[in-house]
Amino acid sequence: MGRLRAFVPFLVLAVVLAIAPIALPVNLVNMGVYALIYGLAAIGLSLLMGLAGQVSLGHAAFFAVGAYTQAILVTKTQVPGILAAVLAVAASMLVALVVGLPLLRLRGHFLALATLGLGIIVAVVARELEVTGGTSGIFGIPKPSFLGRIYDSPQEYFWLLAPFVVIGLWLAQRLVHSRTGRALGAVNDSEVAAECLGVNTYALRVRVFVLAAGYAGLAGVFYAHWLAVVSPEAAGFELSVTLLLMVVLGGLGTVWGAVIGAVAVEALDEGMRSFIPKLIPGASGEVQLLGFGIVLVLLVVLLPGGLAQLWARVTRRRGIAVATAAVSRAEHDGNDAAMEYSGLQALSRLLAQADVTESGSPLLSIRGLTMRYGGVTALGDIDLDVRAGEIFALIGPNGAGKTTAFNIITGVLEPTAGTVTLRGTDVQGRRPHVIATLGATRTFQNLQVFGSTTVLGNVKVARHLRSRSGIFRGMLGLAGREEREIEDWARTAVAALGLTEHADQRVTDLAFGQQRKVEVARALALAPALLLLDEPMAGLSGTERDSLAWLLRRVRSAGISVLLVEHDVDAVMALADRVAVLDDGRLIALGEPEDVRANPAVIAAYLGTDADDDALVRAAAARPVPA
Amino acid sequence: MMSDLLQLVWSGLALGAVYGLVALGFVAIFSVREIVNLAQGEYASLAGLSAISAVAAGVPLLFAVVVVVPFVVAVSVAVERVAVRPVRHMTPLVSIILTLGISTALKAAMLLFWGPEAKALPDFPGKDFVFAGVSVRSQELWILGVAAVVSYAVIAFYEHTTAGKALRACAEQPIAARLLGISPRTATMVAFAIAGFTGAAAGVVGSPIYLSSWSSGLTLGLKGFVAATLGGLVSFRVAMLGGLLLGVLESLAAGYGATGYRDAVAFVVLLVVLLIRPRGLALKPTGVRV
Amino acid sequence: MTRNVRSATTVVAIIAVALAAAGCAESTGSGGATSSGSASGDIKIGAVLDITGAGASLGVPERQALEMLAAQVNSGGGVNGRKINLLIEDDQSTEAGAAKAASKLLSTDNVDLLLGASRTGPSLAMRPLAEAAKKPMISLAANQKIVEGSKWVFKTAQNDRVVIERLVGDMKANGYKNIAIARDASGFGEGIPEMLTEVGKDAGIKVVKVEKFAPDATDFTAQMVNIRAAKPDATLIWGIPPAASLAQVAYKQLGIKAPVYQSHGIGNQVFLDAAGASANGLRAALGKMLVADQLAGNDPQKPVVAKFISDYKAKYGQNPSTFAGHAYDGFTIAVAALKKAGTDPNKLRDAIESTSNSPGVSGVFTMTPTDHSGLTKEALVMVTVENGKWKVLDGPK
Repeated sequence: MGRLRAFVPFLVLAVVLAIAPIALPVNLVNMGVYALIYGLAAIGLSLLMGLAGQVSLGHAAFFAVGAYTQAILVTKTQVPGILAAVLAVAASMLVALVVGLPLLRLRGHFLALATLGLGIIVAVVARELEVTGGTSGIFGIPKPSFLGRIYDSPQEYFWLLAPFVVIGLWLAQRLVHSRTGRALGAVNDSEVAAECLGVNTYALRVRVFVLAAGYAGLAGVFYAHWLAVVSPEAAGFELSVTLLLMVVLGGLGTVWGAVIGAVAVEALDEGMRSFIPKLIPGASGEVQLLGFGIVLVLLVVLLPGGLAQLWARVTRRRGIAVATAAVSRAEHDGNDAAMEYSGLQALSRLLAQADVTESGSPLLSIRGLTMRYGGVTALGDIDLDVRAGEIFALIGPNGAGKTTAFNIITGVLEPTAGTVTLRGTDVQGRRPHVIATLGATRTFQNLQVFGSTTVLGNVKVARHLRSRSGIFRGMLGLAGREEREIEDWARTAVAALGLTEHADQRVTDLAFGQQRKVEVARALALAPALLLLDEPMAGLSGTERDSLAWLLRRVRSAGISVLLVEHDVDAVMALADRVAVLDDGRLIALGEPEDVRANPAVIAAYLGTDADDDALVRAAAARPVPA
Repeated sequence: MMSDLLQLVWSGLALGAVYGLVALGFVAIFSVREIVNLAQGEYASLAGLSAISAVAAGVPLLFAVVVVVPFVVAVSVAVERVAVRPVRHMTPLVSIILTLGISTALKAAMLLFWGPEAKALPDFPGKDFVFAGVSVRSQELWILGVAAVVSYAVIAFYEHTTAGKALRACAEQPIAARLLGISPRTATMVAFAIAGFTGAAAGVVGSPIYLSSWSSGLTLGLKGFVAATLGGLVSFRVAMLGGLLLGVLESLAAGYGATGYRDAVAFVVLLVVLLIRPRGLALKPTGVRV
Repeated sequence: MTRNVRSATTVVAIIAVALAAAGCAESTGSGGATSSGSASGDIKIGAVLDITGAGASLGVPERQALEMLAAQVNSGGGVNGRKINLLIEDDQSTEAGAAKAASKLLSTDNVDLLLGASRTGPSLAMRPLAEAAKKPMISLAANQKIVEGSKWVFKTAQNDRVVIERLVGDMKANGYKNIAIARDASGFGEGIPEMLTEVGKDAGIKVVKVEKFAPDATDFTAQMVNIRAAKPDATLIWGIPPAASLAQVAYKQLGIKAPVYQSHGIGNQVFLDAAGASANGLRAALGKMLVADQLAGNDPQKPVVAKFISDYKAKYGQNPSTFAGHAYDGFTIAVAALKKAGTDPNKLRDAIESTSNSPGVSGVFTMTPTDHSGLTKEALVMVTVENGKWKVLDGPK
């Protein structure tokens, strides 16, 4: 069974770690102790960088907080070692929380360099405070002793560390495959799409940041006891770089890579220290840096995915076989009820989930919506309503402000003025995930699929709001039933859009039109009351357009509203119940398709005004816009 | 009292000018391609150490200084060709790791070649004097002078020459630029060359006072980066002014507060700026979320 | 497929080289764990030195001195027929590096005796490890905290307290009462202002300003401006090069007229080179080696110092610094004890502790159970700098 197979690598690791101290010479065991200590910290960093896609150049700060806290508690107070360790890990996590809340509003370069600044500040503070022992730090930390044994030889310390590393790795791996891991992967692929599917990306990133700090803090505890001294280097930039190198060398996308990378880097370190002085006589000091630097550059240029990428390439042929086997297993597997539904049945089942309101009641209300950029008014005082159970189209020539309006409604932009009310709640300026919780989600004109996962994986993310297990349940693997539900609904959505045969393929392997369908399936899997589509017809062939139009009518008949922004005026006129026309940021027409089509102001807007037609346009514009 | 304050401000300005020169290098690259070159500080150390070796070998001081700058420019261009150009998919993460690797390799090479000790270039010609109670080293005047000239030159290049404007065009609209015959590859190379130039200038002019060693590039690079961030990594003027401001802040903090925390000043400033105005102090905020 | 092969080869090559080198390195070192205190075979002496980092100006000459001496001893037949195997580790001037290196030397290489570290902080980090392993350790650093209350740890550099006593004597003789201090922020400078206050109380000496600087600082304007404002009678700069020399330069730059005292951390040419003309006129209490040519003919240290200087100069082409001298003392005391007692840890320790009236480079050593430093203020002379050269100020007091 699948569950048991997942255990095998960990069993192998446990056995290897158990035998290593006996089989290897003492100097390699010594090196192994450092590899395990830093590896533990690297696991957390790997979750942060690989899974959540956030570069941290100051991770050593949390390592140091754990190490210093343990050192201070053990040498200056009567707190017993194990309790001190718990407090030390808690301290790292607390610092991460306090620091992460403001810091994680940043992205990319700015976040990376902010974490760098953080690391240096922690190092400076550690160097200056009396309680941390100033530049000398804290020394004389005793080796740990419990169960009547003092763990002071490399072999014993290695054995002490091993279970923590194995369990830490196992928990991290479980997290990667859990609801949280899936959400994080989605954020990494396309943050905006994840947000619009209801993932509170900010809160999630803070949580992973804190978790990663916890790993680092625990590693710091072990470091303090092993080295017997903690000094400001523990927070140093050099250590942050070493941890980064471990994660990158091992493979950014995997947590196993962290441990493998740790071993490789420590070996590289030792190797360089002895090798380079032979090559260049008289060379001394941090010569291993030369190796580190060259390896980093080579990795980025030649092997960005690290050792894990290498491993994946080697096993890829086996990988594809596994995937197809899974698909055929799924098709014959009686457990998966959704597979038994035909596409239509699946669609009905899916649409029935939506929490719809009475047909005709106002679902989305927009009043006085205005958007100004510097001196330019992109949108001026827009009022409109979308009712439950209707298809509403927003059209207009290029530069009219449709996309701006759409982005404001979906929470991607904050308006200069005006309100957007969804089901009675004001949502203007709120983040997209809030809008998703109120039952509205969107697709994207420039495809925002989650490229690192399969079609099914993409759709599963949409079930984020309909499930609950967080980091703890995810790590401990207690979310089995919920995961089966998620899988069930995801397969339903996939079947509803006729994508069943592609369910386990990488989404990026699909054709453009099919990827569009994946986005729609994903949006519907959220069971929204309001579906927002951004130029859904763009790039689709004639049959695909018809197919989509049929689908949208079916969606409407289930009581779900659709708001779409479109260029293809003909398709829209045939499909929509009501149409609003924007031109130059102003609403120039609103009503049923036939009325709008005949409206001279609309015609003028699309064709462009002429001096001769001025009178006509003015007359048309003077007519009151129907409500 | 007043002369104390002036003294602190003056020495802060000199130090800040060095930060500013390093900051210009960051902006030079980032304004063309979104890469934060973490090896920027190493250019300064390399220039300083090379000049020291040249002088020790008998080359006259000013000649050595002039010769070393093209050397470092060449190194920077080599870095771009060998390490930056081959990377296919450059994301912020990748560029950080890449330039970090370059920085580490350069540092280690300097360690192996020049050894661990900090060394100083001899003072440039000139006499020290006292003015209004403030002791002024002639080298400090050199630093400010070089900083002014280099800033002016770089800004003039980017804003008033066709080549410079072409570089900026590449960053804003790479495809359009290519259609107009501007090669992004050349643009990146030129940007790296300019970064090497400003870094080398910082290194040689600062070495007599602040010393050069294999590891001196790290803090210098980081503080230069902080100064560059004040300008959102795209404004040369704000980067240089930011460097000066940073130097003065550090000096005042050390003089009036705890000297030990002076290194933290730069990073506190960094965090404050990033949190309040990530796009830097030069540009207006828009409604778009970061 | 080619890309795959290329990447694979790169990574595999790197790892293979690293592991092979790691494996090779260790096999040239110890041959795995062996029991300690072997009665025959090579004597293993481990040395932890600041070869890179802030303390490099100390560690590099120390290493040179140790290597020279070990070669001399071995070419003379070794100690009681046993060769000396000198294992030198670089602690990179950090406490963590020192702990790591000491750990390795003690538990992996099983050395018979530890030398080091070059400076106070790392030495303090090594102390608990030596005591836990019950092996003798001889530090080359200054702060007396290193040996206070210790059974296994000794030191050869003059105690900072003894240096302060000598300086206080000079300050008193010159009538300086208000002293400003600029001190190294690391372990080397810790406690110095308090010590000066305590030792100088009877002479009416008061500390009017204390400024700190990082060992790798390059800008001292802030500290010197504050010191200038405090208007002291004299200033004490307590640090090692390059910081000590840059501080000296900055002090003179600001036109402060009060005389400068420096610690015994400046005892090498590097200080003079970096401080240049601004060093002229300073006052320091240093070991006798730097002014060996100016020593009295009947000084018991003179022949020892003279030979060391000429041997060192012959091998390395430059004069040794006081730090090389501390290393010399550590090594010769160790070798003398090894000759007497062999490598049994307890006997070796006792032999070191019973060193008596032994003239070395840093002074004449007499260790006792309560004094593991063995030097008094007689070991120091007041020295000044004249025209870029060291000059004795007065005869030994």
